[in-house]
Amino acid sequence: MSESILEMRNVTKTFPGVKALSNVNLDLKKGEILGICGENGAGKSTLMKVLSGSFSANQYEGDILINGKEVRFDSVATAQSYGIEMVYQEINMLMMCTVAENIFINNIPGEGKFVDFKKLFKDTQELLDYAGLTDIYPKEIAHNLNSGQMAMVSLLRAYAKNPKVLVLDEPTGALTNNEVDILMRILNELRDKGVSCIYISHKLEEIYRICDRVMVMRDGEVVGTHLINEVREDELIEEMIGRKVVNLYPKESVEIGEEVFRVEDIVVPHPTIKNRNIVDHVSFKLYKGEILGIGGLVGAGRSEILGAIFGQIKKGVSKKVFVKGREVTINSPADAMEVGIGFVTEERKQNGIIWMLSIKDNIVLASLNDLPGKVFVDNKVEESRAQELYDQLHIKAPSINTKVVSLSGGNQQKVVISKWLLKKPDILLIDEPTRGIDVGAKAEIYKLMNELTQSGISIIMVSSDMPELVNMSDRCLVISNGRITGELSKEEISDTAVMKAAIM
Amino acid sequence: MNGKQKNASFVKKAWSVIMSRREVGTIIPLIIMVIVISSVNIKFLAIGNLLDVLRTATYSFIVAIALTFLMITGGMDLSIGAVTSFGGVVTGFALVAGIPVPVAILLGILSGAVVGLIKAFFVIGLDLPPFIVTLGIQYAINGLINVLTEGMAITGFPQSFKEIGQGAIFDKLYFTIIIAVVLGVIFHIILTKSKFGRRLIAAGGNSETAYLAGINVTRIKMGMHVLVSVFAALAGVLMASRFASALPAVGSGTELTIMASVIIGGTSTFGGSGSIWGTAIGCLLLAVITNGLVLMRVSSYWQNLIFGIILLLSIVLDKYRQKTSEKNA
Repeated sequence: MSESILEMRNVTKTFPGVKALSNVNLDLKKGEILGICGENGAGKSTLMKVLSGSFSANQYEGDILINGKEVRFDSVATAQSYGIEMVYQEINMLMMCTVAENIFINNIPGEGKFVDFKKLFKDTQELLDYAGLTDIYPKEIAHNLNSGQMAMVSLLRAYAKNPKVLVLDEPTGALTNNEVDILMRILNELRDKGVSCIYISHKLEEIYRICDRVMVMRDGEVVGTHLINEVREDELIEEMIGRKVVNLYPKESVEIGEEVFRVEDIVVPHPTIKNRNIVDHVSFKLYKGEILGIGGLVGAGRSEILGAIFGQIKKGVSKKVFVKGREVTINSPADAMEVGIGFVTEERKQNGIIWMLSIKDNIVLASLNDLPGKVFVDNKVEESRAQELYDQLHIKAPSINTKVVSLSGGNQQKVVISKWLLKKPDILLIDEPTRGIDVGAKAEIYKLMNELTQSGISIIMVSSDMPELVNMSDRCLVISNGRITGELSKEEISDTAVMKAAIM
Repeated sequence: MNGKQKNASFVKKAWSVIMSRREVGTIIPLIIMVIVISSVNIKFLAIGNLLDVLRTATYSFIVAIALTFLMITGGMDLSIGAVTSFGGVVTGFALVAGIPVPVAILLGILSGAVVGLIKAFFVIGLDLPPFIVTLGIQYAINGLINVLTEGMAITGFPQSFKEIGQGAIFDKLYFTIIIAVVLGVIFHIILTKSKFGRRLIAAGGNSETAYLAGINVTRIKMGMHVLVSVFAALAGVLMASRFASALPAVGSGTELTIMASVIIGGTSTFGGSGSIWGTAIGCLLLAVITNGLVLMRVSSYWQNLIFGIILLLSIVLDKYRQKTSEKNA
């Protein structure tokens, strides 16, 4: 375990306005498993896109060396030709093809142009037997598998190509305990055969179980690399979080009033995994003037809680919602708005703005029923209301008639928030209030949230931005695997406390 | 930046502003066509001929009004031609059976509503691709018409029915022109001034955003499918009245020219924007071309070739317009 099979030197990748990776160095020895951990957005996925050839060599700076020789990847195919195989977090399967075809997708056995199906199915069966996956058949159509089985098939696909370097991105998200055991066994055997592996995971328990070394990333940089038996878990967490002392957060305390909102037993079935809930019996209360933060890792089920409350997600959802002590039925966003709930969603482009419409038309969208006029719109009233919010939130644009598509992310976010402010909700759900917007706009949005709570509005805020969550929340729930694993009071909230509960 | 560059960038900017104005792309070719045709044959500009052009345009315009609304929601419909024929045939049968004129007209229009509901169920309710669904409905309705009529025109209508399509005030200002203009004005106002218009545009612009803002997107989209079929059937009834006979294939082929008129008029096939003004100009343009080809003695065999090319050009223009407006906003 001495010579390096793979080195990445001084890799820097810049997106417009953001440095996603800066001077990252990575060194992978033959026959070792290197763990990479870090918060959401630390740069792990970007780094792996560089390594797998998703970004071609001229899209970033820095060098990649294999066995000490410099190489340049133009595409995923080039990277694969050097024996680098990637197993992605998201499922990518040919849904209508068999398990066997999915595994041997790029190296189907056969003479000339014809497929040797006999050998294909035999080889697949051997692989499945080796892995001990007795519940998967080579001729099964991929569509019929559950996501855990799909993840295992993806792993075997990479395995079947005899890689020299295997990269796994959050491989256990969809797996059952039994499947995790199988994965670990296969990785151990690969290591014994001299195959190297990069293992990306949030779950420190898995890192400790399988890795030889661990590398911690934060804000696009490597902050530390350790032999696994020389580092404690709390040291890793501390490195992942870092010590950021930027005070963007002028959180002003507001007197917390009586209960305004309560949910009991929200259950949302997992969209792809059968018999699993992405939100699993979640109950909580919200008090007047409070900002209730919801923290946790991506995929823990936080956005789904908000979606279920608002009536955005309906399939298989069960819930009890109480507004000011009275039980209400919410079957659609219109119902939720009726009882005074507003929802600033996470995906601005997908379901926040309508790009070809003006700022004004976007702002009035949710309040069409409330504005004067039964059949016709009153343009003057619309314009003056939109203008007020435009001024109040300092939206930077030529006028309220500018199309939102031409605005920056921060200003688009202000338009989306304005839309809900015009509706005057009592309870505002905000999913990732400041994702993808610049520091100045961030501070303005925090200031606005303060003003809202002072005027008596209560806010539920889902956030992956740790400083934001810690500083803006009056109280914080931490979600892990669809359950509440921590409830922290204002005094108890710290990045360490949130992180500990999030990886439970 | 020197003067020349400044000038060039100004021209470029002006050009993109002009091109992003919806109706402009249509009105220029319309003017060109009018000039070309009238220079070849001055008869084109005779009041009588112009009113005939207008009269031809009205039938497609009535359907195009509703299609504009449907396309703003992001939909499309290939069955409008078949439903036009169907509306006329149903009313024709009713009249021949001795049913009073107003009831017969209502039955024709209702037959459109029924087809519209079936279409809405497949496209919106079952979430199936509208291209295939409406193509299937087109075939089914045309087949049904052939079964019912055995390919024969239905004739023998009372004079009071024929009066609707043939009658006019001031000699040549036909009632149908008035009906089309009134409908056009009403729907223009609905689109630009009413709350429903706002919801319609929002539902087409981004249906998820609209839904999260409390708008009943499904109902709007279904409603527009019904509306299109109702208007198509109405156009069929009016045509039966004008020709004093319900022809089984009177609407065949109109689906593509009407769709082209709407797209040429600036309604986006991507949904979220459109105008009745533009659609009116689009319909006029195609009517002028049809009329011009006759006046210029171009063989009618050329028509389909020319319309096909126009449809392709209009969709290229649509894409170009979308790109420039995304860039300049």
